[in-house]
Amino acid sequence: MAIEHYFILSAILFCIGMAVIITKKNAIVVLMGVELILNAANINFIAISQLDNIKLGGQFFALFVIVVAAAEAAVGLAIILKIYKYFSTTNLDEINQLKG
Amino acid sequence: MEYSELLRPLPWTTPTILCLVILALPFVSFLLMAAAPDSSRRLMSWVSSAFILIAACISVYLLLSVWAQPASHTRFDWFSIASMPQITAGILLDINAALMLVVVNVISFLVHVYSTAYMKDDAGYKKYFAFLGLFTFSMLGIVLADNLLIIFVFWELVGLSSYLLISHWYQKDSASKAAKKAFIVNRVGDAGFLIGLAILWVQFNTLDIEALKVLMSQSTLAGGEWTTTLGYVLNADWLTVAGIGLFLGAMGKSAQFPLQVWLPDAMEGPTPVSALIHAATMVAAGVFLMARVFVLLDIDALTFVATIGAITAFMGAIAALTQHDIKKVLAYSTISQLGYMLMGIGVGAYDAALFHLFTHAFFKACLFLAAGSVIYALHEFEHDTGIKFDAQDMRNMGGLRKKLPFTFMAYGVSALALIGIPFFSGFLSKDALLSGAYAWADVMSGGGFSIYYLIPDLGFLTVILTALYMFRQLLLVFFGEFRIAAQHPGHSLTEVKEVPLVMKAVLTVLGIMSLGLIWSINPLDHSHSWFLGALKAPTILTPGFDIDWQPRLIELTLANHIKVTVISMTMIVIGALTGWFLYKPGSAYTKGYFQRKNTVNKLQALSYNNWHLDEAYKLIIEKPVLWIANGLSAFEKRVIDKAIDGFAVINVIIAHLIGWIDRMVVDGFVNFSVFFAGRIGVMTKSLQGGRVQSYILIAVFGIVIMIFWIIW
Repeated sequence: MAIEHYFILSAILFCIGMAVIITKKNAIVVLMGVELILNAANINFIAISQLDNIKLGGQFFALFVIVVAAAEAAVGLAIILKIYKYFSTTNLDEINQLKG
Repeated sequence: MEYSELLRPLPWTTPTILCLVILALPFVSFLLMAAAPDSSRRLMSWVSSAFILIAACISVYLLLSVWAQPASHTRFDWFSIASMPQITAGILLDINAALMLVVVNVISFLVHVYSTAYMKDDAGYKKYFAFLGLFTFSMLGIVLADNLLIIFVFWELVGLSSYLLISHWYQKDSASKAAKKAFIVNRVGDAGFLIGLAILWVQFNTLDIEALKVLMSQSTLAGGEWTTTLGYVLNADWLTVAGIGLFLGAMGKSAQFPLQVWLPDAMEGPTPVSALIHAATMVAAGVFLMARVFVLLDIDALTFVATIGAITAFMGAIAALTQHDIKKVLAYSTISQLGYMLMGIGVGAYDAALFHLFTHAFFKACLFLAAGSVIYALHEFEHDTGIKFDAQDMRNMGGLRKKLPFTFMAYGVSALALIGIPFFSGFLSKDALLSGAYAWADVMSGGGFSIYYLIPDLGFLTVILTALYMFRQLLLVFFGEFRIAAQHPGHSLTEVKEVPLVMKAVLTVLGIMSLGLIWSINPLDHSHSWFLGALKAPTILTPGFDIDWQPRLIELTLANHIKVTVISMTMIVIGALTGWFLYKPGSAYTKGYFQRKNTVNKLQALSYNNWHLDEAYKLIIEKPVLWIANGLSAFEKRVIDKAIDGFAVINVIIAHLIGWIDRMVVDGFVNFSVFFAGRIGVMTKSLQGGRVQSYILIAVFGIVIMIFWIIW
């Protein structure tokens, strides 16, 4: 399979993640969008690593990303939990204390 | 002589320092009276009387010390203008200044003492004494100053204090009007005084009297031109104008024709003030000034002075004939006597004029204070009985000789002195004056008969009139029946009471000074007077003056003396007899006097209204001035006001236009920029809307732009 297909899949996944991040109101769903974008990046790493058979740098990078993503999800969920406790909602439109 | 030498500072000496003390005492009294609390006014008035007494004692001492001595003169630099010679100031104490010091201080002291009784219950007591002090101070300033400029300053101060004292009862409309009249009429004379000063300044660049004398004698008259050593040249007429200008000042202060109208009205002031200011001292200031500048007058100016003096003497005496107010008679008599004095100056009888000034000061002050006593006694009578009448109107008096014997004595003595009866002071001085005038007419007409004889003739006529009006007053006030009481028989038990002791004491002193023996060892001959012995007319220094003029005058005065005495005695007898037959008790005049109207016929109206001078001034000056003023006022209302209104309307229109531009254009621009900034703010504000997702969207958008930028 040609490498372009991976890139296209990755791009589609990135766009979906991006769309989810921008449009969804629930913070948890937004976090899910972030996971989608991370995985779009992973697909790119994996796809690129087929051109580099000896070093496997891309695949290791993907593993790192998964680990970091897990950590990030844990921290993100904890924050969301805290936010929920404080504001009694996870609707991002209502959490607008930074408004200028 | 150089100016620096002429105007060099002269050191202070004991006499001049004492003069300064004399000058300071009344001023301190003025300040004390002004600052003292109202509760201590009685005490303070005695303190200020004591101040004047000290000044009087010092002036007597000074008189004795300068007797037959050269004048003491102290001078110091005052200020200088550009390259002009120094303006100096100083004190010049010569014999006539010393005599004047004595007169002013003694009479001022007596008036102070008299006033403590006369003004006892007056609400303005404190003010009154303060202004008496101010007046005395200013008068002494005129006497002591060595410089015409300083004399002028004090001259104005005297005018001011006279104004303040005339308007003492300022609630009375007539009093405040009289004060204004006195002030304004005096200004007219002062304008002439200033002109005289200006001419002297232009010619000599100094107003110091001693320096003027030297410079005047060094200036020359040739070919109609008056040249000074400095090389200033003026037409010769200006020499006469300068003399007449100085005399105009004297005309205002000494109430000479045609400026005499203020003096009768000035009688609205308290009677002691009339005695001090309007009989003895201030009105004599004009005569004194003329004596100071006597040597600077030329023959034409002197003739002018003599003419005006004689006319005034006659007019004043005529006006005194028909007055009904006791003080008005004395006021017109004062005008007449001042006319005598200035006539004396004019005819070169300098010593006689000053002699008359001094004798007149005492007997006229005595007459006024005695009249004040009569008024005081009648006021008390009015108060006791409750009858309302004018206490100054002679129609209400009569027969007071028995009720006020002491006042009658004082009044009688001083009235006889005024008439010029032998053995009284007035005889000596008036005789000297008339001898001088007669001699002058002889000299001026050069042996023949001429119009110059009119001057002494007017003088002799005035003697008749003086005797007539004084006898009239004596008979109407002190003889016959007491008219007001006779009209109200119910009050026959209430008596007119004699005045307090203080007033009597003052009258005694002044009465004694009216006796001839005080002034001359031989009371029948003025040439034996110690007074005239000390005062010798100074030689006139004006250029072109006939050197023989003065010696011939003196010679003829002595020669004419007996003739003149006989003539004037005859005149007095004529006047006195006429007076007796017209106004003796029981005569037709006195019987109808209580109901008598102010005037009966045209001639009496002419006299009663002082030759209709007031009316004439109304017609000649007041009416045209008012007419012009009204015209100007109408012009201002119709033309100037209209123009200003139009200008204002145009301004309002322009203002509206500018206002519109302001609102629409300037405000519009400002509002637009505000609106624009606001919109930008709103727009940029939404970027920071607090919505995390829009931040992200923008961030992504930004990254996309960066990527595109990098790739291209």
